[in-house]
Amino acid sequence: MKRVSSRSKIADQVFLVATGLCASSPILFLLVITGIVVVQSIPSIRLMGWDFLTSVTWNMGSTYGAMTVKNGVPVPAGASYGALPFIVGTLASSVIALLIAVPISLLTAMILAYRVRGVVKSALSIVVELLAGIPSVVIGLWGIVVLAPWVSSSLGPLLTHVGWVIPFFSGPVGTGMGLLTSGLVLALMVVPIITATTRDLLEQVPILYREGGIALGMTSWEVVRLICLPYIKEGMIGAVALGWGRAMGETMAVLMVSGSAINYLPQNLYSPISTMAAVIADQLDSAMTDASHMAVHALSELALVLLVLTLLTNLVARLLVNRSRGTRRAGMGVKAG
Amino acid sequence: MLKSRWAGAALALSAVIATAGCGAATNNTANAGNAVQNTAGATTATAPITINETGSSLLYPLFNGQWIEAYKSVDPNVSITAASTGSGTGIAQAIAGTVQIGASDAYLSDAQMQQNPSMVNIPLAISAQQVMYNVPGLTGDQHLKLSGDVLAKIFSGKIKVWDDAAITSLNPGVKLPHQPIIPVHRSDSSGDTFLFTQFLSDTSADWKNAVGFGTSVSWPAVAGAIGVKGNDGVVQALASNKYSIGYVGISWLDKATQQGLGYAALKNKDGNFVLPAKENIQAAAQAGVSNVPDDERISLIDEPGANSYPIINFEYAIVNTKQPADMAAALKKFLNWAIDPNGGNKDQYLSPVHFLPLPAEIESKSQAQINKIGG
Repeated sequence: MKRVSSRSKIADQVFLVATGLCASSPILFLLVITGIVVVQSIPSIRLMGWDFLTSVTWNMGSTYGAMTVKNGVPVPAGASYGALPFIVGTLASSVIALLIAVPISLLTAMILAYRVRGVVKSALSIVVELLAGIPSVVIGLWGIVVLAPWVSSSLGPLLTHVGWVIPFFSGPVGTGMGLLTSGLVLALMVVPIITATTRDLLEQVPILYREGGIALGMTSWEVVRLICLPYIKEGMIGAVALGWGRAMGETMAVLMVSGSAINYLPQNLYSPISTMAAVIADQLDSAMTDASHMAVHALSELALVLLVLTLLTNLVARLLVNRSRGTRRAGMGVKAG
Repeated sequence: MLKSRWAGAALALSAVIATAGCGAATNNTANAGNAVQNTAGATTATAPITINETGSSLLYPLFNGQWIEAYKSVDPNVSITAASTGSGTGIAQAIAGTVQIGASDAYLSDAQMQQNPSMVNIPLAISAQQVMYNVPGLTGDQHLKLSGDVLAKIFSGKIKVWDDAAITSLNPGVKLPHQPIIPVHRSDSSGDTFLFTQFLSDTSADWKNAVGFGTSVSWPAVAGAIGVKGNDGVVQALASNKYSIGYVGISWLDKATQQGLGYAALKNKDGNFVLPAKENIQAAAQAGVSNVPDDERISLIDEPGANSYPIINFEYAIVNTKQPADMAAALKKFLNWAIDPNGGNKDQYLSPVHFLPLPAEIESKSQAQINKIGG
C-alpha cells in the first residue's frame, strides 16, 4: 500500500515536471526567437534608423569592393536598406486577399452552417479544410502557370476598364506577375481559414434567436443580417485578423507570382511587388556573402517588422474572438436561466 | 541546413557502427592467420571519412548526379554528401566548418578573404551563360546580336522597345517589333546574376557606377521588369511573356530553346558577335588562363580573342585549409581527382551538365592550392 503510494507520488512529480517543461516551451520559443531577431537587427537599426521604414532603396552595396563606415557601422560602399516597398507590398497584397476572401468565406460559411446537413455538410467542410492543406508551393506553381497568364491576358485588361473611376486599376497590365495575382493567390489560401472560423461562429448563434427572427416573418437574408452577423461581429473581426496574419506571413506562393519588385513602389494594381517574407527567403543566401554581415542584419530587421505586424494582428484577433466567446457564454447562461 | 546536419550526424553514427564492424572482421581474419585477407582488412579498417558539400545549385547536379557515384570506386573509404543550398550558404558553411566543401559560382571577395585567410578558392570546372529572349517572328537559327552596353541600357530602362535604334543598328536586316521590352532577372541569390552583372559592369561604365555586381544586386527600377526565382523560373517567365529578355545558365540552354526561346550572339572584347558554343567558351578560357593569379580568384568575363565568348566563369570549391590530418588527406585526394582530366574533369561527367574541363595550366595552379590543405 505504502509502496504504491510513493511510486504514484514520484510519477506525479515526473508528470508535473514534464508538463511544466512542455507547457513553458511555447513561451520560451517565442522569447528566444524574438530575442535573436532583435539582437540581430541592432546593427541595421543603427545604420538606417527610421529610414529603414520610409526609404525605397534596398542595396547591399558593392560586396566585392572596399568597406566604408556609415553611422559608426562598417558596411560595403553604397549599402542602404529601405524596406518601404516590401512593407507596402505585404500590406497591399494581404488587404487585396482579404477583400476577395472575406465575402466568399462569409457566404460559404453561411451555407455550411445553416443550409446543408448530414453527408453534404461534412463533405463540404472536409473540402474546405483540405484546401487549407494544399502546400503553398503547389498554389504558387498554379499561380505561375495558370493564374498569371490569365490575369495578363483576360482579367487585367477587363479591370482596366474601370481605370477611369479608380486610377489604380488602369494599365499597363504587364506580365501578370504582380500585386493582383499575389492577392488572388493569398485569397485562395486564407479562404479556408476564415470560412472554418466563421462557420463555427455561426453555428454558435443560439437557435432560439434565429427561430425568433423567422417567427417574426424575417427572410433568410434578414435573419442573417439582423441577428446572426451582429451576434458574431467581434468573432468575425478576429477570424479576418487570423486570415490577415496568415496572408502577411505567406512566403513561397507569393514569392513565385509577385514579380519580385525591388527599389520601387507599386504603380498600379498589376505592378510587380515584393513582400517581406519573400525578400527574406530570396535574399538570405546573397546576404551571407556580405563580409560586413550587414545584409543579414537588415533581413533580420525586416523579419522583426514582419514579426511585430503578425503578432499584433494575431493578438488582436485572439482578444476579439475571446471577447465574443465571453458574451456568447453570458447569453447562453441567460437563456438557460 | 538543419536537414544536412542531421544527415551528417546520421552518417557519422553509421560510420562509427561500420568501423566497429570492420574492426571485428579484421580481428577474425587475423586470428584465422590468412595474410592476404589480413592486409585487405587492414586497409578497410582505417576510419571511413565523410566529406560534406553544400552550395551552388549549378554545381549540385555535377556532385550529386556524377561525382559522388564515380568517386565510390576511386576511394571506397570516403563518402561524399551533397546539398543544393545556394552559393552564399555553401561559402558560409565552409567558413564555419559545418561542411568541408562550399560549392560556389563566385569567388570570395577581398573583404571575405581578409576575414578568413585560411580559405582557398579552387576552380573545379568552367561554366557559361547565355542571354535569351522571346521575340515572336525570329526563326530558330537567327540569333540577335547584342552588346553588354545595350543589355545594361535595357536592364536600367534606358532602352524600352525592341526596335530601339541601339538594337536595330546591331541587327541590320532583322525586323524587330515596336513592343516594350520586359527585362527578367533572378530574384534569388544566384551565380548567374553574379556573372551577368559582372559582364554589364565590365562593358558599361554607367552600370558599374550605378549598380555594380554581386550574387544579387539592387536592380534599377524599371516599370514592367520582373524578378523570378531560379533558372527554371526565368525560362518559364520568358516562355510565357512575349517580348521578354533574360539570362540563363548554360545547363538550361537545351530546355529553353525547346520552349521556343532564342539566344543572343554577344559582342566580345574584339568586337565580334559570338555564340555560347563549346569552342567559343574554350577559346575564352584559354585567353584568360595567363591572367589567373595564384589564388585563382578571377573573373573570366569579357576575355580577349576573336572567338572568345564573353560570359564564362570558374565554378569553385571553397575550402578551409585548416583540417584534421585524415580529413585533409581525403579532401586533397578527392579535389585532385575532381580536377584531373582523367578523373572528375572527364567529359563523361561534365557534359551532362554542360560544363567544360579546366585548361591544363589551371590544373597545376589548382594543385598548388589543394596542397595547402592540412596546415
